[in-house]
Amino acid sequence: MMAEFSSVGKNVPRVDVFEKVTGSAIYADDRQFGAGLYYGRLVRSPYAHALIKKIDVSKALEVPGVKAVVTGKDFPGRIGLYLVDRPIFAADRVRYVGDPVAGVVAVSEEIAEEAARLVEVEYEELPAVFDPLEAIKPDAPLLHPDLGSYKVAPFIHPVPGTNISEHFKLRRGDVESAWSQCAAIVEEEFRLPQIQHVPIETHVAVAIWEPSGEVTLWTSSQSPFAQRDLIAQSLGIPHGNLRVISPYVGGGFGGKAGVSIEVYAVAMARAVMGHPVKLRMTREEEFVGTTVRQSLVAHVKVGCDADGNLLAMEVSYYFGGGAYNDYGVNIARAAGYSCTGPYYIPNVKGDSYCVYTNQPIGSAMRGFGMPEIHWGLEQAMDQLAEKIGMDPVEFRRRNCVKTGQIIATGMTMPNVDLVACIDKVAKAVNWGKKEPPSAPHKKRGKGLAIMWKAPAMPPNPGSSAIVRFNEDATVNVEIGAQELGQGAFTVAAQIAAEALGVPYDWVRVSAPIDTKYSPYEWQTVASRITWSMGNAVKAAAEDAKRQILELVAEHWDEDPEDLDIKDGKVISYKSERELSLKGLVVYGLPNEDFEGWKGGPIVGRGKFMPTYVTSLDPETGQGTRAVVHYTVGAQAVDLEVDTETGQVEIIKIASAYDVGKAINPDLVLTQIEGGAVHGMSSTFEALKFDEKGRPLNPSFVDYRIATAADIPKEIHGDIVETPLEDGPWGARGIGEHVMVQTAPAIANAIYNAIGVRFNELPLSAEKIFMAMREKEE
Amino acid sequence: MLARPGLPRFDYVRAETADEVVRLLQERGEAARPFMGGTDLFVRMRDGVIHPQVVVDVKYLPGIRDVVYDAQAGLTVGAAVTMNEVARHPDVVAHYPLLAEAANSVASYQLRNRATLGGNLCNASPAADTAPATLVLEGRIVLYGPDGEREVPATEFFLGPGKTARGPAEIVTAIRYPLPPKGAAGRYLKLGRNKVGDLSIVGVAVFGFPDETAPSGYRFRIGLASVAPVPLRATAAEEILAEEPPGEETFVKAAEEAMNEASPIDDVRASAAYRKAMVRALTLRGLRAVWEQLA
Amino acid sequence: MGMHSITVTVNGEKEYLEVPSHMTLLQMLREKLAITGPKNGCSAGECGACTVLLDGEPVNSCMVLAVEVDGHEVVTVEGLAKEGQLTPLQQAFIEHNAVQCGFCTPGMLISAEALLKRNPHPTEEEIKEALVGNLCRCTGYIRIIRAVQTAAEKGGA
Repeated sequence: MMAEFSSVGKNVPRVDVFEKVTGSAIYADDRQFGAGLYYGRLVRSPYAHALIKKIDVSKALEVPGVKAVVTGKDFPGRIGLYLVDRPIFAADRVRYVGDPVAGVVAVSEEIAEEAARLVEVEYEELPAVFDPLEAIKPDAPLLHPDLGSYKVAPFIHPVPGTNISEHFKLRRGDVESAWSQCAAIVEEEFRLPQIQHVPIETHVAVAIWEPSGEVTLWTSSQSPFAQRDLIAQSLGIPHGNLRVISPYVGGGFGGKAGVSIEVYAVAMARAVMGHPVKLRMTREEEFVGTTVRQSLVAHVKVGCDADGNLLAMEVSYYFGGGAYNDYGVNIARAAGYSCTGPYYIPNVKGDSYCVYTNQPIGSAMRGFGMPEIHWGLEQAMDQLAEKIGMDPVEFRRRNCVKTGQIIATGMTMPNVDLVACIDKVAKAVNWGKKEPPSAPHKKRGKGLAIMWKAPAMPPNPGSSAIVRFNEDATVNVEIGAQELGQGAFTVAAQIAAEALGVPYDWVRVSAPIDTKYSPYEWQTVASRITWSMGNAVKAAAEDAKRQILELVAEHWDEDPEDLDIKDGKVISYKSERELSLKGLVVYGLPNEDFEGWKGGPIVGRGKFMPTYVTSLDPETGQGTRAVVHYTVGAQAVDLEVDTETGQVEIIKIASAYDVGKAINPDLVLTQIEGGAVHGMSSTFEALKFDEKGRPLNPSFVDYRIATAADIPKEIHGDIVETPLEDGPWGARGIGEHVMVQTAPAIANAIYNAIGVRFNELPLSAEKIFMAMREKEE
Repeated sequence: MLARPGLPRFDYVRAETADEVVRLLQERGEAARPFMGGTDLFVRMRDGVIHPQVVVDVKYLPGIRDVVYDAQAGLTVGAAVTMNEVARHPDVVAHYPLLAEAANSVASYQLRNRATLGGNLCNASPAADTAPATLVLEGRIVLYGPDGEREVPATEFFLGPGKTARGPAEIVTAIRYPLPPKGAAGRYLKLGRNKVGDLSIVGVAVFGFPDETAPSGYRFRIGLASVAPVPLRATAAEEILAEEPPGEETFVKAAEEAMNEASPIDDVRASAAYRKAMVRALTLRGLRAVWEQLA
Repeated sequence: MGMHSITVTVNGEKEYLEVPSHMTLLQMLREKLAITGPKNGCSAGECGACTVLLDGEPVNSCMVLAVEVDGHEVVTVEGLAKEGQLTPLQQAFIEHNAVQCGFCTPGMLISAEALLKRNPHPTEEEIKEALVGNLCRCTGYIRIIRAVQTAAEKGGA
């Protein structure tokens, strides 16, 4: 048992940063494929909902340089993770503006694009639906008449004959009776639009289908193994024949998990066997032709007693899932079992729906349903606190979920300290102190919001790792987790170094992640990697260490229990002997007088898979263990509103998260900082469409994200460490949590400043100005 | 349709003389397009809005990249002078700081290294950031065409969104700004969705100077962007400021009048109602700021 | 008609290339010279991931035609470090963890290096304004701004 850490808990430099600052880091579009490279472009539907009557590709095929054109009839399979509802190319009908109906392969991207514009498709327009409340009505146009025949994960419950792809029910206690005991009740509707991840690197996929049947896919991916699984199944490729390789990802945020456009590259590659086909999304396609965060309409009713204790909650979440909900259904489910937000509430009725709408595909985006539901929840809580005459911070302290409490699914809350997080952020913004604005025409306000999130996964997501050595005892750590910028590779190296007992700079993480050589990792999502991959790497390193100690113990005729590895050397606490790892980790050790040898190449292996997640009752959402754990946190915002223009200037965002154990504290802070700005930016973002579902702002010109000039004057981060029972040294995830509650924290602060509440995102200077003006009238 | 991945095909020709350009435009008409910075042209071509067969690079015409200040005649800015060059040129900064401020508000530093003053005015977006300043500084657009050189006052140059008084075979070679009146001060205020660097939702240039011929002792000129089919002068507001004594009450009245002179539309960036309100807010702020410099 | 022979100095090397009229500088760098530091983030001059120095000034290489750089000098992120020696700014990026996914980093470094050359002691506001045209989705910009400040303290670009 280490008294002092050598690597873990230290702010060691990132393993990937030298490559990235010199421009030598390779991303998916950087790899050179030579003269045989073809390019693909997609033909996309101009209608939100239509039957495909006829596709004529003849003119496209005549364009010199075009090698193939494929359509839906060439690929009868469907693809999906939790709900297999998406055709490879739309064959009988299109379900959103941008739904791909054909793919063109040519010797250049330019020629492929010209030819794509010559593909003639005859459509019969159908009525379309864009609002989940409209789509859920019995007479709404049906997007998936065959919903009943789709393969679906056992824990997802679609309603065939409707547009409901998932309905999660939570029933706990007796909500109806509880209302009568409430001294105050708040009932509100909250809405938010679709927004996009906006990774600076758009989606890129290159696929080659060899005549031998071996298929290789290079792509910017968070989930090479999951993509292999889904694409293999949908295109009928044996798993072992499909190889997915992913280099550094230039921003994922959930949009590069699962399969979006990668399957098209593979499908097109089949038509031009032996040639790699590159498919890359333009920024415009990235906005509306990959995946987006779902829209939401939330009905929230919450009540407390006279002392401010939460008694009852009734929520209905209607997610606008878009045209295909193969990932969205799990988001609705996660929103369902976590529907209360980070609170202890004894009586809960929750219904969470994922609803098909004729919009871009809703899928995983940082927070996975949590930012969407916290938008309404954290404002409703503020409103309830106000109604009962309680300070919002005090209200959260009283009601926030605490270790050991029984939460909405009947699970016992694991070890967390949300109160500590609340206290830290309240202190950081001088909560309770009314501070003056910077000018007479500005109004200043403070607000806070708390959050929770569990990794939303199937019950059996596995991680594995291998630790191998080079002759000089430098270490190769093999993982399947991806470096998206969050620092996964660095954390893997730190954990391996610590568990082995070698210096941090001896450790290299093998990259790119390649399903042919890398050990299995379910997906780099859900903020699960530090915990799950971390456990696997720790196990693999400990396995290697055990083999080394046994070898040297035998060599020294000592007990392995008396040996250790420190700083790359085996040491004996008993005899005080020392032996460098160099050489022995590959070559073994010679017996006395060279009468034979012992040992050999050391290979450590490890895996981690949670074993304790149980199913949930489909009628009540109750079960022994719904999720693996929760990460909790708090954010407080201090801002000013310019009453003459409605513009918001954020003075400070203070965040505190309980990460269990910060493997690299500075990297945790960089997640907090990035998340605060991402959360702030998302508050003002929205994808806009016209009445026919056509995108109005699919570019940076009119979809604005925060620039360097927009950031808060100050971002403050605090780390709380309440160890996670089964995390490596107690560590749990942070990557998504950092932006979950920023929007409602801002809304609460704006209310504090100007007394106006906003139930609908996005916010904007215009909206705020007009609301203030209306209030005056 | 979404924008294409790259630019469509075209020929690139680098012009050496203005006559060469004029000839080409006469021969090819819409199929030929002069360009300087390209920051607007390339975006439109990718978006499929226009597709010229020939693009004519006029950045190398003699004098078109020069900034010349004459203490008697005023400032001449070559059409291909970039925004950054305008913003930091010592003569512009010293004598036409309003123009420098306006040029510096465009987009990003990278784009300002390519975007040109002439291009910004020629594209005649109602949101063109340098238009209000050019209007209030009483700039004149210098055109060269089949009939030689002519000047068009900025107030007569903008005819509609994307439409100017430039003839089909003419190019803009320079913008001339007369000497500003003695003691003048000006500000360009811009409201975007980001703090800095966005297209304007509303842009207001306020320019004021002492003038004993005005009953109030001062004349103000107000230029508005993004609130009408063209960038325009708020002349009725200007009249109020010429007549009535300067101060908060008059400024409020003028700002209200400027608001009434604006005829914005609803679009994806903002509503007409908000734009109108912001004309008032920014004009008022601009008047206060300029007055502080004048007094 | 269509193709042009150009001579352009890229990262100190003279290159002789045949480029079509409609090829952008970004495409020329990535496809003709396999210089992949400058990235394609939008092809519209908005994100700055493609930023390079053209005669010492930062430009969006997706908004410049390859033919326009005939006779000019281009520097990309690959040309900043000399013989493996990182610039003070690159080192500051490492020190401050100003890099996460790294995709905006090449363009960001170019814009920041150019800023420090023309303004060796920028204020925080000046740094922010200089980087407005370089979008980052990961870092929240804070560490990037600090890295520029550190590099400025160490004596510039």
